[in-house]
Amino acid sequence: MAHIGLSVALLASLAATGGPVRGPQPIEYAVKASYLYKFAPFVQWPSAAFDTPTAPLSICIAGSDPFGPALSEAVRGQRVNGHPIVVRRVEAVRPGLTCQILYVGGEDTGAALQAVAHEPVLTVTDHMRSGAGGMIQFVMVAGHVRFSIDQAAAQGSGIAISSKLLGLAVSVTR
Amino acid sequence: MTPRRALRRLMTAIAETPAIGIAIAGLLLVASLELAYHNEGQARADKIRSVTVQARILAASLAGPLAFNDQTAIHEYLDALRASPEFNAVGAYDENGRLVDGFSRLSEPLPERNQVAEPIVQGDEIIVTSPVTQNGASLGSVYIGAATERWSRRATRYLGIAIVVVMACLLVAVLTAFYASVSAANRRLQAEIASREEAEEALRQAQKMEAMGQLTGGVAHDFNNLLMVASSGMELLDRTTDPVRRERLKDGIRQAIERGAKLTQQLLTFARRSPLSPEVVEVGERIQALRDLLERSLREDVKVEFEFATGLWPIEVDPSQFDVAVLNIAINARDAMPEGGRIKIAAHNYPAGGSTTRDMVRVSIRDSGAGIAPELMEKVFEPFFTTKSVGSGTGLGLSQVYGFVRSSGGVVKIESVVGQGTTVFLFFPRSSQTLPRADVQADRLRHAEHDATVLVAEDDEHVAELVAEMLRELGYKSRRGATAAETLRLLEETGPFDLVLSDMIMPGKMNGLELAQEVVRREPGMPVVLMTGYSEAAASAAAEGFPLLVKPYTIEAMGEVLGHALHQ
Repeated sequence: MAHIGLSVALLASLAATGGPVRGPQPIEYAVKASYLYKFAPFVQWPSAAFDTPTAPLSICIAGSDPFGPALSEAVRGQRVNGHPIVVRRVEAVRPGLTCQILYVGGEDTGAALQAVAHEPVLTVTDHMRSGAGGMIQFVMVAGHVRFSIDQAAAQGSGIAISSKLLGLAVSVTR
Repeated sequence: MTPRRALRRLMTAIAETPAIGIAIAGLLLVASLELAYHNEGQARADKIRSVTVQARILAASLAGPLAFNDQTAIHEYLDALRASPEFNAVGAYDENGRLVDGFSRLSEPLPERNQVAEPIVQGDEIIVTSPVTQNGASLGSVYIGAATERWSRRATRYLGIAIVVVMACLLVAVLTAFYASVSAANRRLQAEIASREEAEEALRQAQKMEAMGQLTGGVAHDFNNLLMVASSGMELLDRTTDPVRRERLKDGIRQAIERGAKLTQQLLTFARRSPLSPEVVEVGERIQALRDLLERSLREDVKVEFEFATGLWPIEVDPSQFDVAVLNIAINARDAMPEGGRIKIAAHNYPAGGSTTRDMVRVSIRDSGAGIAPELMEKVFEPFFTTKSVGSGTGLGLSQVYGFVRSSGGVVKIESVVGQGTTVFLFFPRSSQTLPRADVQADRLRHAEHDATVLVAEDDEHVAELVAEMLRELGYKSRRGATAAETLRLLEETGPFDLVLSDMIMPGKMNGLELAQEVVRREPGMPVVLMTGYSEAAASAAAEGFPLLVKPYTIEAMGEVLGHALHQ
């Protein structure tokens, strides 16, 4: 099992590329923000998930946004398989949402997950902020940000997760 | 100088200088250096390729750990490479090019920042960088510094080949130098051989002339006698009318003239400058033919005896050299007997076994002279060794005998007892060839009835008359042309003729040989016989293939040659 640490260098890089961070940001959210868009290259969506080969890959944040502008700054200019990455905030999660990655936090996580259950959306949740788990769930182990993966749920939505990513997960539900 | 000769001289010059070999050796060396350099480049390119592949594998493996900052995994991957001594420095960098982890075996630490670039070679180190990407997303980069093969290892690898190449170059250089010196020596040797052959030829001629000189005294004396017989015979002929006496006188004159002619002929044949040309001869017949010359060149108080076994094997020698050798020994024998004595010339077959391994014919010439002192025996065959007084001998006689017999594959032996005499033995190997038989038809032809007409080309009035007379005597009709032109005209206008008989030396534009060629050109198949008294002219006629009558000739000889020419 891989040990996921938090390096000062990574934080420094986030701070450098992410521009000025407003207000006190818990350091773990900076790490989670960087992980959020780094999941994209290790994930294979069904082709129906994108309108065109160059259509943007959307990372949607539902509910309260713990990342602030740092995430938007971090993904600027980044491309995965030709798709530029964009960050959107959504008020309500409904079926037919055009998001490839959906981060859900807060009370109504379960309902949100339910809404996109059969759509090609990689759902990411935070153990600390909700009971219900998405396909990828952030967990804290010994002070480090790590994640567990529900591969069965991902497969049910037509999403393939690279073994490289699976190898780094704390636990994998198959 | 013709281009061909120039080319040959150039080739000789090239063959005789070691420069070309050294050039080849140099080229070989340069070529092998070039090859080594090329190989070195190839090896380096291979090395770069293999390190690049390693970097790509590392980059692919580090995609996940770098993206999610898995220090342990990164460390494990890098540690795996640490096990190989070929990697001096390996580093993993994040997407901003900052060092995440790595190691360096060199004194220099890993660079803090990494920039993906083409592989570069720095001294003994190859530096390869590779981006870490996943689905087009840049996640970081790797840096590998690998040692190229150590100089000492490379040198060891090339040492074997280098030794072989250097040895090959040395060998080529040495061989060419050797070849150059050998080829120069060979050329000198060839030149020496050629000049020696020339000298030997000159020596043979000189030896012949020496023998000639020895003969001349006797021959001149004999000629005097013959002339005496002839002139006094003519004088007496004028003074007598008795037919019996006149007939006897004419007989005497004719005999004297015949003997004189024979002698001159022998001398001419003898003196002719001719290359060595071995023929199959029968020793007895050959010496018998020499009898007249022998008897005349020796003194009256020297008696010559002959003894030839029947059924002598044929031998293969140059006939004129053989004659000279026999004469030389006979003259030596004569000189060894100032008080007179006997010379016995004998020939026997000497079958193989005992002292020889092959069948030989032995010719022995024994005299009853003073003999040779034992201490001089070894020297007698040396050129210019002579016991005779100055002016009476050059010392070339026996050396000619020795040279001739050896070149004929034979052996010379001398036995001598002081006060009793000397015997010279000549051994010649038996020839496997048979003797060319003289044409037995000659006799029959000579007396055959002729109804042929001969066209004679002869400028000398008297000779022409004589020839006409001889032809009539033989039963031929004849016409005569005084010049070549006249002869050709007669041939055109008053033919047909059965044979053309021409003197070789003719006045006018065309000589006898040219006339003969012209006749054959105009009337192919027309027999042409040439006459001459000059041995050189005779040789050129023989070379052209025309039958020849050598002056002076007898009526019998003429009949024989003409009959032969007509019936061919």
